[in-house]
Amino acid sequence: MTFRTGLTRRTLLAGAAALAALSAPLSLAAQEVQTGGTLVLASLQKPRHLNAAVQSGIATAVPAAQIFATLLRYGETFEPEPYLAESWEYSDDAKTLTLKLRSGATFHDGEPITSEDVIWSLGVTKENHPFSTMLEPIESMEAPDPQTVVINLREPHPALLLALSGPLTPILPKHVFDDGQDITSNPKNNLPVGSGPFKVTQFEPGQHIILERHDGFFLEGRPYLDRIVIRQYQDANSGVLAMESGEAQMFPLLDATRLIRRLEGAGTMVVTDQGYAGIGPINWLAFNTKNPALSDVRVRQAIAYAIDRDFVANALHAGLSKPAIEPVVQNSPFFTENVERYDFDLDKANALLAEAGFGEGGQPLTLRIDFIPDNEEQQRAVAEYVKAALAKVGIEVSVRSSPDFPTWAQRIASHDFDMTMDQVFNWGDPVIGVNRTYLCSNIRPGVIWSNTQSYCNEEVDRLLNEAGVEPDLARRQELYAAAFGQITQDAPIHFINEVPYHTVYLQAVQNPPVSIWGTMGPLDEVWLQQ
Amino acid sequence: MVAITTVSTPTPTPAPAARGPMAEAWGIFRRSPAAMLGLVILILVTLMTVAGPFLYPVDAFEIVWAPLTPPGQEANIPLGTDNLGRDTLAGLIAGGRATLAVGFAAAAITMVIGVVIGSYAGFYGGGVDNLLMRFTEFFQVLPPLLFAMVVVTLFQPTLVNVALAIGVVSWPQTARLTRSEFRRIRTLEYVSAMRAIGASNSHVIWRVILPNALPPLIVSATLTIGMAILFEAGLSFLGLSDPNVMSWGLMIGSGRQYLLDAWWVVTLPGLMIFLTVLGVSLVGDGLNDAFNPRMRER
Repeated sequence: MTFRTGLTRRTLLAGAAALAALSAPLSLAAQEVQTGGTLVLASLQKPRHLNAAVQSGIATAVPAAQIFATLLRYGETFEPEPYLAESWEYSDDAKTLTLKLRSGATFHDGEPITSEDVIWSLGVTKENHPFSTMLEPIESMEAPDPQTVVINLREPHPALLLALSGPLTPILPKHVFDDGQDITSNPKNNLPVGSGPFKVTQFEPGQHIILERHDGFFLEGRPYLDRIVIRQYQDANSGVLAMESGEAQMFPLLDATRLIRRLEGAGTMVVTDQGYAGIGPINWLAFNTKNPALSDVRVRQAIAYAIDRDFVANALHAGLSKPAIEPVVQNSPFFTENVERYDFDLDKANALLAEAGFGEGGQPLTLRIDFIPDNEEQQRAVAEYVKAALAKVGIEVSVRSSPDFPTWAQRIASHDFDMTMDQVFNWGDPVIGVNRTYLCSNIRPGVIWSNTQSYCNEEVDRLLNEAGVEPDLARRQELYAAAFGQITQDAPIHFINEVPYHTVYLQAVQNPPVSIWGTMGPLDEVWLQQ
Repeated sequence: MVAITTVSTPTPTPAPAARGPMAEAWGIFRRSPAAMLGLVILILVTLMTVAGPFLYPVDAFEIVWAPLTPPGQEANIPLGTDNLGRDTLAGLIAGGRATLAVGFAAAAITMVIGVVIGSYAGFYGGGVDNLLMRFTEFFQVLPPLLFAMVVVTLFQPTLVNVALAIGVVSWPQTARLTRSEFRRIRTLEYVSAMRAIGASNSHVIWRVILPNALPPLIVSATLTIGMAILFEAGLSFLGLSDPNVMSWGLMIGSGRQYLLDAWWVVTLPGLMIFLTVLGVSLVGDGLNDAFNPRMRER
């Protein structure tokens, strides 16, 4: 199975440019790439360090995708494209992947990038990355020559190609990092020598990260920018003011919808919700199925019917968030329409509650709801809305606030909750970001974003596990559709909305990051019109 | 002021005053326009929170209309809605109750702790004073907001805990004030006289000295109410308040994200806090003047 070059954005752009050149002289001939310049990115995230091989999360992902190359990259579709690997091929049984690396690629210190580095990096990631399922089926890796990597799998692992892209498996210089120190706490993680289009020259936590163009980058002529500054702001308001004053040119991962609307109205900026298909962020209400009342599926379904997703999306989130109805986002290749949606229906909610012995005439039902602190619009506001909405069907909800994220995480991880608002990311493939929430084997007290719902359905486990090793995409889609159908039926989670992440940028910014990984992929194609 | 008449028996009886000390104080208070304005504000705010729910029976937590509706746009929602679509006026009415309750409760806690510690320290002096004052200083040097945050974080952010936290960080000043009053008064002749006729220590502390030390303490308590209201707002602004009880601070805390495009969500509860604290301060100042003997001579 060789890769096929899909209709990528680059070919489209080339086509568009050709068309423009043919059609009229007044068309945008200025689309010729201008190199140089500094792009200032407004950021609210605070990375602990910059080594994405041992640290998940968007805070590290954005700078790490600039500092480190990955083997593959993705455009706007879930179709892999060459990056550090110029070609790749699966064996017929889909258990061996052979990748050919580009020749002449070098790290920021000038040393060549070889198959040894790739194998070492994947090994480190497999051992240390929090997403343990990502590379888990790798049995062994071989380097027949400095340009070839062979990955042997225990079983087919269709999530692998995606795992070799974006922020997930950065290629590290073995000669720098293999120094006998624990890689998770290696001080070199703060200013790492990398392999990507930009090298990091300054990392001031809480202030800024300065990334300078790597002149020896293996893609000819890239990156177009001279410098990227990731400037950290304390809150979305100050980031937005920086955009308005021109201090920053791009604000990715902005989810404060009133502020997005405000910038949209300014007229000098472009607002897009593209670039987030890869993380697939969902804002949801999770149930502790060990709670006596919530162990009854009818109670969970009743709560789902009593919550009006459209109110959340349109009224609370200014019409900018899409409703979420199942474990994956709408942009995922595994999205299916064929699930129970739980459209707002108070009569059904009341009937289900009555059947379960609650509601009017039944036992009174009191529940507590938690939410992730410091996220007003997505978490606290929705939690308070749930309180008001469930009051209408006679469920009394008390909102419990947590002073900080660790307190919330500790409460949820130790299963000390009735219901909680939560935000969980798909990370591109269900094997990486979805299974963890539903597998019986992943009920692991003490671990946040595991199956803290204590939900267990053998049939769902079977479907998810089978889909995880199914190389055929169509068959995989069927299996996931069946799994998601069953999960929504069992309602351990009530899916509410997709987090309305948007990227806002000044009109001068060209080739904005709209791939599935957005700013968590390389920004080597971005340029500034001067 | 029964105590004053009681203790004045051993000393030569002074010429009978035309009015009681309270009436005299009220006379001075009444003549100050600023103090009367403060009193009127406080009465209005209290009326609003007490009578409001009957005149405007809207549940402060119910979602009544589109979120962030500006004031005046809908006839039946005079002050608009917040980020969830809850009625702002209903929030102000319900929130006032909680905010005032926290203010008074915190002031009461402050007074109880401060007066007990301050009076024992001031009365006994010596080792007891030394010990109690070192204890007080320990609390005095703690940064109050930070300490209150820790208290609220460790326990749940319920209104009771918020009031307790504020009380726990504010009592040292009251203790100092009480101590200095006690040290002054315990040397006065009528106290010696009470001792001479065999009054017990606790009788002297609670029945003799305390009533005479009260005027500055009342002023201090009044100002503590204002401070506690501001403190509650500050904690709420940082997200450390009870999300299940509407308070002005909570309204400000959950509305601050919308400050750039929905001014009323934060401004209206802010205005209420401003007015209430202003009222409390004016009343406090008025009381200070009214209890001041120098003012009395005029």
